[in-house]
Amino acid sequence: MQYVPQPVGSVRLCVLTFGVWLALGVPLAAQDSAQRNQGQAIYAKSCAGCHGDQGQGVKGTHEDPLTGDRSVVELADLIDRTMPEGEPDKCTGEEASAVAAFLHNAFYSEAARIRNDPPRIRLTRLTGTQLRQSLADLYGHFAGSASSTTERGLKGEYFTGSRPNNDKRKIERVDSTIDFDWKQDGPGEGVDAKDFSIRWRGGLKVLESGRYEIVVRSSCAFLCGLGRNEREFINNRVQSGDRTEFRKSVTLTAGRVYPIQIELYQRKRKTEQPPATISLSWVPPHSTEVLIPERSLVPVYVPPAFSLQTKLPPDDRSYGFERGLAIDRQWDESTTASAAEFAQMAVDELWPIYRQRHKNDSDENRARLRGFLTELVETAFRGPLDESSRQFYIDAQMAQAEGDAEATKRCLLVTLKSPRFLYPALDQDRSTSQRAANRLALTLFDSLPSDEWLIRLAREDKLQTADQIRQAAQRMLDDDRAHGKIREFMSEWLNLNHFTDLVKSGEKFPGFTPEIVADLKASLDASIDEIVRSDSSDFRQLFLSTRLYTTPRLQQYYGAEWKPADSSSGLSQSGTDLKNSAGLLSHPYLMSGLAYQDSTSPIHRGVFLIRNVLGRTLNPPKEAFTPLSPDLHPDLTTRQRIEKQTSPNSCQTCHLKINGLGFALENFDADGRFREKESDRTIDATGHYVTREGQPKSFRGASELAGFLASSHDVHRAFVNRAFQHFVKQPVAAYGLDQLDELTGNFQRDGFHIRRLLVEIATIAATQTESSPTKGQKND
Amino acid sequence: MTEYASRREFLRQAGLSAAGINLALGLPSLTRAADSGASRKQRLVFVFSPNGVIPDHFWPDAQSEQFELTRILKPLEKFKDQTLTLHGVCNKIRGDGHMRGIGCLLTGIELYPGDIQGGSDTPAGWSKGISVDQYLKDQLQADPRTQTRFGSLEFGAMVPDRADTWTRMSYSGPNQPVAPIDDPYQMFDKLYGQARNRKVLASVLDGLKEDFSRLEKMIGSEDRRILQEHLALIRDVEKELKSDSALSAKQSGVGHPIPVLTPNVEDQNDNMPEVCRMQLELMVNSFVADFTRIASFQITNSVGQPRMKWLGIDEGHHSLSHEPDSNKDAYEKLIKINTWYCEQVAHLANRLAETPEPGGDGSLLDNTTIVWTNELGKGNSHTRNNIPFVMVGGGLGWRTGRALDFKNVAHNRLLMSFCESMGHPVESFGNPDHSRGGTLPELV
Repeated sequence: MQYVPQPVGSVRLCVLTFGVWLALGVPLAAQDSAQRNQGQAIYAKSCAGCHGDQGQGVKGTHEDPLTGDRSVVELADLIDRTMPEGEPDKCTGEEASAVAAFLHNAFYSEAARIRNDPPRIRLTRLTGTQLRQSLADLYGHFAGSASSTTERGLKGEYFTGSRPNNDKRKIERVDSTIDFDWKQDGPGEGVDAKDFSIRWRGGLKVLESGRYEIVVRSSCAFLCGLGRNEREFINNRVQSGDRTEFRKSVTLTAGRVYPIQIELYQRKRKTEQPPATISLSWVPPHSTEVLIPERSLVPVYVPPAFSLQTKLPPDDRSYGFERGLAIDRQWDESTTASAAEFAQMAVDELWPIYRQRHKNDSDENRARLRGFLTELVETAFRGPLDESSRQFYIDAQMAQAEGDAEATKRCLLVTLKSPRFLYPALDQDRSTSQRAANRLALTLFDSLPSDEWLIRLAREDKLQTADQIRQAAQRMLDDDRAHGKIREFMSEWLNLNHFTDLVKSGEKFPGFTPEIVADLKASLDASIDEIVRSDSSDFRQLFLSTRLYTTPRLQQYYGAEWKPADSSSGLSQSGTDLKNSAGLLSHPYLMSGLAYQDSTSPIHRGVFLIRNVLGRTLNPPKEAFTPLSPDLHPDLTTRQRIEKQTSPNSCQTCHLKINGLGFALENFDADGRFREKESDRTIDATGHYVTREGQPKSFRGASELAGFLASSHDVHRAFVNRAFQHFVKQPVAAYGLDQLDELTGNFQRDGFHIRRLLVEIATIAATQTESSPTKGQKND
Repeated sequence: MTEYASRREFLRQAGLSAAGINLALGLPSLTRAADSGASRKQRLVFVFSPNGVIPDHFWPDAQSEQFELTRILKPLEKFKDQTLTLHGVCNKIRGDGHMRGIGCLLTGIELYPGDIQGGSDTPAGWSKGISVDQYLKDQLQADPRTQTRFGSLEFGAMVPDRADTWTRMSYSGPNQPVAPIDDPYQMFDKLYGQARNRKVLASVLDGLKEDFSRLEKMIGSEDRRILQEHLALIRDVEKELKSDSALSAKQSGVGHPIPVLTPNVEDQNDNMPEVCRMQLELMVNSFVADFTRIASFQITNSVGQPRMKWLGIDEGHHSLSHEPDSNKDAYEKLIKINTWYCEQVAHLANRLAETPEPGGDGSLLDNTTIVWTNELGKGNSHTRNNIPFVMVGGGLGWRTGRALDFKNVAHNRLLMSFCESMGHPVESFGNPDHSRGGTLPELV
């Protein structure tokens, strides 16, 4: 049974009546205002008691504010059918329309809300992510950053003799992964099978922040360094007994390449030797153990890198995106712990680097240390030091400590807890160019300016015009740090962080192993990257692309359509087009995540599409409901069961919208496999949606849904809004009431170029530093 | 990269208030001192020096009624009455000389077969068992009456920056070596890092507050709220830190509870005396603060090669130790080197004797036993018979002021005696074959 909204008789009459009025040429404004006045009077009498005179809600009766994104017509219909509560016949037809028109304009709609309480650019502190990235870049400012390369794998040097010695090097090559079992034969020509050593060097490319468990399995002694070759990570320098598995966890930060080095020693001994084996795996965040793949390794020199290990408390998400709005004890203590951790790194690793670089400079009156601390503080404070700051942050701290280490720690403790560091927008006293640079780094990297070229542009005041800023933004967008933030954004957009354990019923979906899940995640990440990084960077491809990334394992599970074009490599694009697909939206990883262990969940899929993709408001249900078990209704399809459960009027206010979208993806099973039938019934994948403007749309199946979404204004607008919020961490309306519409329009006219959209967003955030609440003000 | 927030989180979950957390983490414990009034504290410190001794100038004459100190032991003159030497205790664990010297010394059990090939037959891996200091740490930590912040602290001096069977003497379990911290600044951070941070914070909060006030002027009134909240938080923290430091100044009695280290002492051979001094100072402080009841001090490592230039000796210790006795020059130098090691033990004993036992009677030394030991009986023969064991102090409650000779017993039994006297008797320690006979007689 399909439920399509039908304007109730008297409302239709009202609409016709208005139409007649229009035709008669009576001024619209006068009609509107008359209607609103009528509505206001009714509201005051019959509605304000429960909803509050400004729709703010009333404690004890209806607490939620009366806000949302329904159109006037939809509201009128809702009021007509269901309000006042308990006596829905009391307000119908013309009266319902009047009330709807009034409250939609006064406080209900988004425009009304913005008008009543104009959003501002708020002063916020660094979020946890921003603190991590800023410290990583503060370190990187001294240590250098990895240059980009297309080479992959690790450089391997094979030595005869168990002490790596350039004279004894016999083999030099790039190994794509580390997974070897040489038994007793040794690794190759010229290398003594009983007495050899190997050195692998290069970098570990990380695009997602989080906790990683590195796993080395080896029957030989080995040393593993991470972050810096001398920084010991796993020490198995002594092969002992049967121990062959070594695991260690570390927090890594997105957008960076960490130097990694493994030295393996197969030592000659008077007794029997075990066979020589070694493998290098990891468990990435929210995933399962896999061999570290070639695409995450680079075989070139990588400068040392730092990643904060201190745990940081989660940030406020009440606005739908992370914001540093709250100041509390826990956060304050975490900034102290972070400062202490960084200070130790600075003493152990950065100070020697600086000293070496400046060894020919004068050290009179501790000038070298002073220079080091000045550079640290100026980078942390995103600009030059004024005299009183210099005196407090550097001179006073140096005076209190004779030792270099002590002075550095004091200085950093106080610098990294300073408001100058923690509140990036506290820079009104800096030049326009400096402020632009600071905001570009914050928007695109979640960090501070640390690259020489950007710092120089700021110092030379060459970031004044929008074009200069745009150019800088473009250059920054090519950086790994921007890639990391883009990936983070796409994960948010697709709601991926909510999928923790993708486990399916072993009976119904045998073979849906953790390895399949890991492959699916890799496929999704690569498919997104491909679209975003391509020349066209076309947003619509997210729905329309039919060539996703795949692996031999995925082909084995999902069938011929998932055959990789290049079977030799682990992960590559599929060779054929996927029929019946909605691009990424019907990707098995997403479909599995939005499903139960043994059945699909059109409701989860519908909610996801409404909130994340279409950007509509959806309030949670008043009560919690357990889904009807499939076993109770074996004769019903999933669709029928859901329709049955959500059929009451009160449910339909939301479920009409939700189901209408979720059903369109019913062809995708709980493991993401495409199916024509459920049990032996053909699946009904028809769906519908009513736009913000009240336009009804319908579609059947994933491809039609994809086509609709790709061209939907609601979808474009929602994506731009989310992107703005994610990157700038401020409401877009604070930059002008028409800013969102302008950005969306440009996005649409610019071929939906995602990267250029991000450049525009960064440029706006960098050029506008004050709120402009009245810019572009318009009425409902 | 270490995790910093975990300890604080743990304590918060354990229900301690903010002030309580500060106390627990950095300052002498008021409550523990009060609780332990009933039974006295017992401490055990293992001091390791390498390459064996010169027996003729080391072992006092156990036959004579008079207990006379030999040349090497002369530095302990002041503490003769609290000194006990044990001759005839042998390391019977099989394996390579040096490696099993240090690797089996505190564990009493064989090393795993592995790939570190020493001078003899069997290449070795790590120990197959736990060492006595870590064992006792576990026992003491399991009992709230003897629980301390760290349980055990492993100090070192000039320990080479390699983890292998020559550089590790403590094991928290099979295949689990524990690395000593030989950098006094690193040890300082471990013990007082957070307290130091709080001290620094307390001294700079004024300046920080000033900066907040200055920057506040730059922004509109609506945005000031978050800065003002932050400022209010800083004021709260400031109050707490002030009351913390007042409390600590009251309790310590000797002024600052936090020791001050000489700055910029580099990790080099010639600075070894200074580093030893700093480490022992930190150890004494950690006893005063009751951070631990078990400690170890590993001077270099098995086959250690310090060049004691400050004694006029340029050659490395290990090289000298392999010279035959007929090399008079080497012989004399080895005596001087071992005497210097003894001086470090004496210095520790002296510092402990000078420091009153907090919340109790007598000095720290009355409740501490220093066990000075070695990997070998003698360097050039690699003998593991008559392993040097010199006890100084009253921690174990043994009858001191004597020189005993056990003729030829397995050192496992001595390890068992340590356990028993610390209140945790065991049926065997390490290899059970060598534990037969139980604890050694006549010690108490």
